[in-house]
Amino acid sequence: MSDHKNLEVIAQMVPQGARVLDLGCGTGELLAYLRERRGCTGYGVELDDANLLGCAKRGVNVIQLNLEEGLALFKDRSFDVVLQLETLQHLRNAENMLRETARVGRMGIVSFPNFAHWPNRLSVVRGRMPVTKALPYEWYDTPNIRVGTYADFEVLAGKNGLDVIDSFGLQQGQVVRRWPNLMASVAVFKFQRR
Amino acid sequence: MIGHITYLSDDSMEAKFGRELRATELGYSTQDIEFQIESYLRHQGEKFSEYFDANTYLLITRALDYFDPALPFGGDLSKAFAVARDKKFLLVSFTTDWRFSPARSRELVKALLDNRADVSYAEIDAPHGHDAFLLEDPRYHGVMSAYFDRIANEVGA
Repeated sequence: MSDHKNLEVIAQMVPQGARVLDLGCGTGELLAYLRERRGCTGYGVELDDANLLGCAKRGVNVIQLNLEEGLALFKDRSFDVVLQLETLQHLRNAENMLRETARVGRMGIVSFPNFAHWPNRLSVVRGRMPVTKALPYEWYDTPNIRVGTYADFEVLAGKNGLDVIDSFGLQQGQVVRRWPNLMASVAVFKFQRR
Repeated sequence: MIGHITYLSDDSMEAKFGRELRATELGYSTQDIEFQIESYLRHQGEKFSEYFDANTYLLITRALDYFDPALPFGGDLSKAFAVARDKKFLLVSFTTDWRFSPARSRELVKALLDNRADVSYAEIDAPHGHDAFLLEDPRYHGVMSAYFDRIANEVGA
């Protein structure tokens, strides 16, 4: 399944034994994977009650917190890696969260749906908002309130003084390095504070 | 009676009693029990005074007032928890609890995070105030039993 493949690709970006904070960690799948395969430690942050229970069942440390409130609980550079996967697009304060991610972690890894993926462009050209596997919602019920493109993120990172260490697209579990803004449904960025 | 109010929440008192009267209309008295909530609190107060010795209660209240784990560490709660850095914690708070408010629990979570202790924190959105911890809330019980199951697994029980 491509979701699991995506997870494996992201996990490989996390150094062995790293101390990790996973913002919007869901049921803690990635944290459990990192703990077992890469000897990582850390915490997840999650708002949803059902996901929280999922984390508890996996034995993953989880803090119930609304990310809109920021990361005041966490000290500067207190984590080796801060992950924010498929989360940023749900947040009103997306830009501030990006800054917070860079403050708390020595390194940040962000993934989000790439609005500029060619089927999305085609859909908009035809006059309709895209409904795809990566963007499976109608325009009126989507939780993705910050929909941007691979290229947009490069600009936002620069504006906030972040150095992009690595970036690529993901398409059905495959890494896309050639024209990712056009060819990939998911954008992945690894960055640190300048 | 005042103490008892701190176990409840505005919403739970509203749901249970609201402005309900004991009689059919207002009595314009200062001594009589007119509202249902008055009657309930008076009843709880009577029960308390029978169950507990008043001096014991004063003493316990004082002990709570004196409790300040950060005091010996210059007011730094994180330093107070340094001894706990290799321990595991689960904290649960309830959004409407103003006896032990979520803000206080978050202070504890922060102190534990500063020490890199294993900590999980659930902030349950429940309407029942402090009393919620005595009630059956599936989210609260779910997290607790999952946590206990993990402990049981770890110790091989």
